[in-house]
Amino acid sequence: MFVARSIAADHKDLIHDVSFDFHGRRMATCSSDQSVKVWDKSESGDWHCTASWKTHSGSVWRVTWAHPEFGQVLASCSFDRTAAVWEEIVGESNDKLRGQSHWVKRTTLVDSRTSVTDVKFAPKHMGLMLATCSADGVVRIYEAPDVMNLSQWSLQHEISCKLSCSCISWNPSSSRAHSPMIAVGSDDSSPNVSAKVQIYEYNENTRKYAKAESLMTVTDPVHDISFAPNLGRSFHILAVATKDVRIFTLKPVRKELTSSGGPTKFEIHIVAQFDNHNSQVWRVSWNITGTVLASSGDDGCVRLWKANYMDNWKCTGILKGNGSPVNGSSSQQAISNASLGSNNPNLQNSLNGSSASRKHS
Amino acid sequence: MEKMARVTTALGGNTLTGRTMYCHLDAPANAISVCRDAAQVVVAGRNIFKIYAIEEEQFVEKLNLRVGRKPSLNFSCADVVWHQMDENLLATAATNGVVVTWNLGKPSRNKQDQLFTEHKRTVNKVCFHPTEAYMLLSGSQDGYMKCFDLRKKDSVSTFSGQSESVRDVQFSIRDYFTFAATFENGNVQLWDIRRPDRYERMFTAHNGPVFCCDWHPEDRGWLATGGRDKMVKVWDMNTNRAKEIYCVQSIASVARVKWRPECKHHLATCSMMVDHNIYVWDVRRPYIPSAMFEEHRDVTTGIVWRHLHDPYFLLSGSKDSTLYQHIFKDASQPIERANPEGLCYGLFGDLAFAAKESLVTADSNRKPYPGDRRHPIFFKRKLDPTEQFESVSSSALSVFETEPDSSSMGWFVDTARQYALAGRSLAELCDHNAKVAKELSRNQVAQTWTMLRIIYCSPGTMPSANLNHSIGKGSASLPLMNSFNLKDMASGMGSEARLDWSKGENRSENILLDSSTTLITNDENEETEGSDVPADYLLGDVEGDEDELYLMDHENAHTEEPEYVLPQEAFPLRHEIVDNPSGPDHLQDKADSPHVSGNEAETVSLTPVESFSLISISHTLYESRLPPDFFSALVRDMLRFYAEQGDVQMAVSVLIVLGERIRKEIDEQTQEHWYTSYIDLLQRFRLWNISNQVIKLSTCRAITCLNQASTTLHVNCSNCKRPMSNKGWICDRCRQCASTCAVCHHVVKGLFVWCQGCSHGGHLQHILKWLESSTHCPAGCGHLCEYT
Repeated sequence: MFVARSIAADHKDLIHDVSFDFHGRRMATCSSDQSVKVWDKSESGDWHCTASWKTHSGSVWRVTWAHPEFGQVLASCSFDRTAAVWEEIVGESNDKLRGQSHWVKRTTLVDSRTSVTDVKFAPKHMGLMLATCSADGVVRIYEAPDVMNLSQWSLQHEISCKLSCSCISWNPSSSRAHSPMIAVGSDDSSPNVSAKVQIYEYNENTRKYAKAESLMTVTDPVHDISFAPNLGRSFHILAVATKDVRIFTLKPVRKELTSSGGPTKFEIHIVAQFDNHNSQVWRVSWNITGTVLASSGDDGCVRLWKANYMDNWKCTGILKGNGSPVNGSSSQQAISNASLGSNNPNLQNSLNGSSASRKHS
Repeated sequence: MEKMARVTTALGGNTLTGRTMYCHLDAPANAISVCRDAAQVVVAGRNIFKIYAIEEEQFVEKLNLRVGRKPSLNFSCADVVWHQMDENLLATAATNGVVVTWNLGKPSRNKQDQLFTEHKRTVNKVCFHPTEAYMLLSGSQDGYMKCFDLRKKDSVSTFSGQSESVRDVQFSIRDYFTFAATFENGNVQLWDIRRPDRYERMFTAHNGPVFCCDWHPEDRGWLATGGRDKMVKVWDMNTNRAKEIYCVQSIASVARVKWRPECKHHLATCSMMVDHNIYVWDVRRPYIPSAMFEEHRDVTTGIVWRHLHDPYFLLSGSKDSTLYQHIFKDASQPIERANPEGLCYGLFGDLAFAAKESLVTADSNRKPYPGDRRHPIFFKRKLDPTEQFESVSSSALSVFETEPDSSSMGWFVDTARQYALAGRSLAELCDHNAKVAKELSRNQVAQTWTMLRIIYCSPGTMPSANLNHSIGKGSASLPLMNSFNLKDMASGMGSEARLDWSKGENRSENILLDSSTTLITNDENEETEGSDVPADYLLGDVEGDEDELYLMDHENAHTEEPEYVLPQEAFPLRHEIVDNPSGPDHLQDKADSPHVSGNEAETVSLTPVESFSLISISHTLYESRLPPDFFSALVRDMLRFYAEQGDVQMAVSVLIVLGERIRKEIDEQTQEHWYTSYIDLLQRFRLWNISNQVIKLSTCRAITCLNQASTTLHVNCSNCKRPMSNKGWICDRCRQCASTCAVCHHVVKGLFVWCQGCSHGGHLQHILKWLESSTHCPAGCGHLCEYT
């Protein structure tokens, strides 16, 4: 079902992040070689590099797209302690003729004193906001008050997490019932500090972000964290990449029951935990409906996870990084490409919004 | 000699020992230098000049060289160097331009030996010859370098750089007569000490000042330079022209650079400002430091490897008044923390995956996860300098694409395109949507639509009239009543009846109320809405009729083309002027609330609906006209279920199709949440028309206003080409009808297409027809219009 299309990225060092834009037609990659590349999908489905430029004077850890309503805007963050916002310039130039687009730096955010490890735009309904986190444990939230002026960003909040931060994720829910929320993961490797995932929530009354929850069960370094697209759910799903893949659900406890004004309390359940990567897990990413989770680990494989009608999460596919078949012997759940094919209908079925088997429920 | 022997044995026994440790100095350090036995270090600064012994667990102050009642400026040091052959010999560069030598063997407290006051400005650097005992070199801000023979009172030779200040001077380790000097203007010069008249060679190494340089301890031709341009460059001097062979990009200006002993490609740097860290780079991997020491809280001013042949111990002094011994074992390794993989889920289920090549090419029999990556054992192994360092790393980037026909989100797009949400009777909508779902083999969804149809449309009275979305309101299953009666009753028992709609908690009442009451409620409601906007209501009705006919034809003919997308848009768009569609309902809600308590009495004896399961509803129940509201709890739960499963499309579609029948069951906030989520999804897939339709059909105020916000059309008169300020058809400046069709000369109401070049235009059909036969503007202005 999956066809691997290999792309000659031509980055001079490791690629640390890839990111699709809102419509899935563009892709950005960033690398330790201090550059960011933008790839556009042609009609035939090929990816063409339409821009490549030096963005920072250190490794670029992350790159992320803003909602297209704000223009073609990227944000990047780097080891050089800065985050930057970039905008594509549309205009007549020689670049255009060569099929290259031009990106200009709109701002540099220099507040961090250490490596900026993640950068994420807030969900669109919050306006043009940007969160960064840094190795010294500070999450910063910036806002561009005028969406037409990308060079003006004001630092709205500084949240001190006390732990070296490695990743952040905004809760994408657009519901008015859910206040803005941000989850922070830490890759602090000291074993005596527990709770490597913290969740901060915006409090309307104090106009500040306050810690709502800590996931006490996550004690190993966290490398990636991701809220699933909410899509009308009343609860939130959070995937954590640590030494294994973990999926949590956060059900808001009804406001009336908690003391008013305080942070929302959540019923937190761990719904899945997989060590199939058999090694450090580096990345987690949700599909668009928040029903399938992809994870990648030190084993060089991408694994897909999906819940069945009983809410049991299962591995539904394994993809090898270079497109070669996965050797079945490496783990009991590993499925070679051939059997992956036979697995497809399953995945396909279940991806169809609701699995056929659920009919009986 | 005895001391030296000890150290040699120590190294022969394979290591220096010690740990990461530091001591507080009294004042900021400017430079440090280490004795050749690796057991003592000298720290020099503006207000400090001390020798510390490096012991196992701590630094111990051995000697304070700042003596005397009033310390002279000669004690204020910019640089210090310990002779690598004579343990008793030190030289400092004083900030007042004096070069001082110190003899630790002197019996007196003051160890000052010789004073050379030849430079006019600050001396930036002093350097002993590596093999010649008495030769000292200095470089100064005044642009001169001087060579001293310590047996003589004055300098033996003076070298003029003929350019700006000298920042660093370094004797070549291998070439007896050669030294390198770096300058503030970005140049590096090579000199032969026998020829003070001119340099042997000069090249521009950096953009801006070159702060430092260091000869490679083994490779005779390699010189590393660091500059304000944040770069460290490695030059091969063996060739005729200095060739840049490596370039490391740091994040701040480079103040010091030191090759790492025993590691051919490693060097340590520290920076002059902003950045307080010390980095160790592998020059072959120039983008990311292989190790990093983050202990200092202020600028690091001096770094030195503790021993010539030991790569694990680094000493540093800083402006934060500390002296550190760094152990490699404790270094942080940005490479280790760096994420070797990138992963992103695309819209259509495609996955972009970038991974370090060694990870994806590694054989599948790789060793199992041995615990934390930063386990000390790993460090030892990783840092073995003899091991070939993983010099070049690259990532493999691939996109896993779902095959076009099996695109995992294709169902979403197809469903969104093919669903009918309005414009027909409820039963037809349900049937149609069930069919769509079935064709996409989404059986559960298809089943749901069929059930909805059964629940809300009684089988006996199949809808034959035009009962479209906006006016259906469940009356299909109920006998029609005289509208006169309705109006009368509306005033009489409105409050009571409306109760049914007021709150989800009250839903179960309906089973007690007889069907006629329910009917009244429904129709009354509808009537109220209608009378609010009578004209529009009528128009809507008519339009609905047209839709109906059109669609019915399709249905009857069982057309082969299964999808008719957006039936409404097949007709000229007519903007429905609905200021606030949910306004009246909202007010009603409010008006109802006082009555709720009054009716509570009637509702206490209710049987909980929950006791009925959907399956147990037999056909006979329909026959007895169980009001559809009976099911609303179930339907509500069903919608919730779909939403929780991530299929917000179903939730919203049902919400729209059922309209009033279910709307009150679900709180506004949830509805809004569903709508925004679904609209966001539709927009991701660029299904703009459908997203617009959903916005239009939604009953949430927050959603419908999405379509009305921040859309401004600026219209210019096609005659006088000035902006039209008022909203009418006539331009108030030239008193002409502005938007006349250039072909038929009638005012265009509806779709108006115009040329952006000449601003002439007209009815879409007319213009299209015109441009088929002619390329010129139909208005005769001569413009070559184009319709694309």
